[in-house]
Amino acid sequence: MFRLRSETSRGMALSAPATLYVGFLVAAPLGILVAYSFWTQNYVSIDRTPTLSNYGFALNDPLVRHLLLKSIWIAGLCTIATVVLAYPIAYFIAMRARRKTLWLLLITIPFWTSYLLRVFSWKLILGFKGLMNSALISLGAIDQPLAFLLYNEFAVVLTLAHAWAPFAILPIYVSLQKMDRSLLEAATDLGCTGFQRFRRITLPLTFPGVIAACLIIFIPTVGDYVTPALVGGSEGKMISNLIQVQFGAANNWPLGATLSLIAMASVGLVATGFLFLANLARGTIR
Amino acid sequence: MTSHPIVELRGVEKRYGNLAAVSNLNLALSAGEFFSLLGPSGCGKTTALRIIAGFQEPTSGQVLIDGNDMADMPANRRPTNMVFQSYAIFPHLDVGKNVGFGLSNSGLSKAERDMRVAEALEMVELGDLEDRKSDALSGGQRQRVALARALVMRPKVLLLDEPLSALDKNLRETMQLELRRLQQSVGITFVMVTHDQYEAMTISDRIGVMFEGRLKQVDAPATLYAQPASREIAAFIGGMNFLAADVLSSGEKGLGVNIRGFGKFHIARNPKVSKHGERIEVGIRPEQIGISTAEEKSDMGIEAVVRDIAFYGESIHYHVIATAADAPLSVAVPNHFHSRDFARGDKVSLDIKSTSIIDLGTME
Ligand SMILES: Nc1ncnc2c1ncn2[C@@H]1O[C@H](COP(=O)(O)OP(=O)(O)O)[C@@H](O)[C@H]1O
Ligand SMILES: [Mg+2]
Repeated sequence: MFRLRSETSRGMALSAPATLYVGFLVAAPLGILVAYSFWTQNYVSIDRTPTLSNYGFALNDPLVRHLLLKSIWIAGLCTIATVVLAYPIAYFIAMRARRKTLWLLLITIPFWTSYLLRVFSWKLILGFKGLMNSALISLGAIDQPLAFLLYNEFAVVLTLAHAWAPFAILPIYVSLQKMDRSLLEAATDLGCTGFQRFRRITLPLTFPGVIAACLIIFIPTVGDYVTPALVGGSEGKMISNLIQVQFGAANNWPLGATLSLIAMASVGLVATGFLFLANLARGTIR
Repeated sequence: MTSHPIVELRGVEKRYGNLAAVSNLNLALSAGEFFSLLGPSGCGKTTALRIIAGFQEPTSGQVLIDGNDMADMPANRRPTNMVFQSYAIFPHLDVGKNVGFGLSNSGLSKAERDMRVAEALEMVELGDLEDRKSDALSGGQRQRVALARALVMRPKVLLLDEPLSALDKNLRETMQLELRRLQQSVGITFVMVTHDQYEAMTISDRIGVMFEGRLKQVDAPATLYAQPASREIAAFIGGMNFLAADVLSSGEKGLGVNIRGFGKFHIARNPKVSKHGERIEVGIRPEQIGISTAEEKSDMGIEAVVRDIAFYGESIHYHVIATAADAPLSVAVPNHFHSRDFARGDKVSLDIKSTSIIDLGTME
């Protein structure tokens, strides 16, 4: 029986788990989301007549546009901050550290607690009566607690950067780690100073790792809602907070679905544009 | 101009903890010579080369290049360039940019740089590959790019770490000749590290033989082959039959010896060895022993029996047992196609001339 099975059916059997997984956990929810986006909410019931009215509303609403742009802005800032901080750390571990495994383990320690707790801990650090203010006051650096530490964009960027740093460190670390060390010696041999060597060899060769890190940070942070909800205040609100409201208090699932899809499309667009620019930059960095 | 050596090592030592990778290395290379550091893997050749290049600091000792002490000279400012064992071709740059890499640190104009890159590529016969991506190169081409990239810098010394060991046999032999030709045309001092004795002998003006971190003998290939300074060098370079001999008389130039089972010989004194006790070791190269049938045996002939035969194509190696001495010997004869072959078990007669017996000094 089994012997008679064709290549094709065997292939299908092999890929079945993956297909089922993707089907149930990605395609089906996405399909439901798309379907909802064409329906409308009638107070307690849902009107299933297909319509583009949600899109019309969302695309013309200044608040949506504002929140979307701000989400991209905050995620962008967070990406830059994270990657700029992650690069030296990854560099240190890959090139200088003796006990690489230990360092990598230390990097992941924040993940041993829940994401929510980590965000809360930033609240404790940055708050009006938080760690930072108490420390600064007891050092005599300030008389009054600083109010601008929490509940703004800065707090969101900082908290997200901290939460996502390991995801940026790892791809950069891997790209540094697999770089042939004799290339560095060859560059030195050909007269490069340490800095020239970094710019002409290390950076271009680890560029794919940096790009990967950027995407890994940017894509999920655009849609983060826990962090802006907890430390963002009114200024730090992002698109997902609006989406969350649609599925919660506002009870307008169709609009929530529409906003989600618009956010997804925007992220896709920005990421594609970013990759395009990165490819251009890669040409010049050589 | 050539009054001082281009590279001089004075008592150079490199220790890794308890291990001395290189000890008491003294060496002077003259300008324009092709020098090879030859030794088994792990004997410290690469370490010595990297100390000259400045990638490693000697634990003690001095490195001078063109008369200048290199102690405070970082690798990127030394007048040396290196061809790495792995070639270390920059994967993100094409051939032309690889070769021109070092020149953009040099302050030359773009036009000058382009000219020198083209010239260097021409020299290694890669003129038409300037725009080729570096991942689309064969092993031999990568090796040439690495050579051009180093030569374009016009270093005082070119350092090569096993430059041919990654190539297959035919290509390696072609490249040996080409490397030699290249070195002679540019006139730069080459220091090559290799574990391949034939490679070292084919291309070098002089060879330094290293064992366990120590330089044991420095000589021209022919001298090294004819007058090895010790048994281990004799065994490392070419094939060698070792025999014990009693010294009967000892003169200024020669030694009268009795090799038991072979007879009495008057052999030349090897100037490379210092000690001559009552009992010395002598060596005979396999190709220096004549072999003929037992019937053709002359008065001086030594009786032997063929034990094994190894066919090498261009030569045939007979492993024989000398009857009187009960000593195993290896005899190599060129393959003349029509010459009479011997079979296993054949009785043969060996012919050993006293001029081909190498004095290896007191038995260790
Ligand atoms: N960085 C290092 N740390 C410790 N030991 C080393 C290091 N580099 C080389 N060695 C040791 O020094 C010896 C000589 O090495 P090397 O110069 O590479 O030999 P070769 O090139 O002749 O094969 C070897 O025993 C090697 O294991
Ligand atoms: Mg080596």
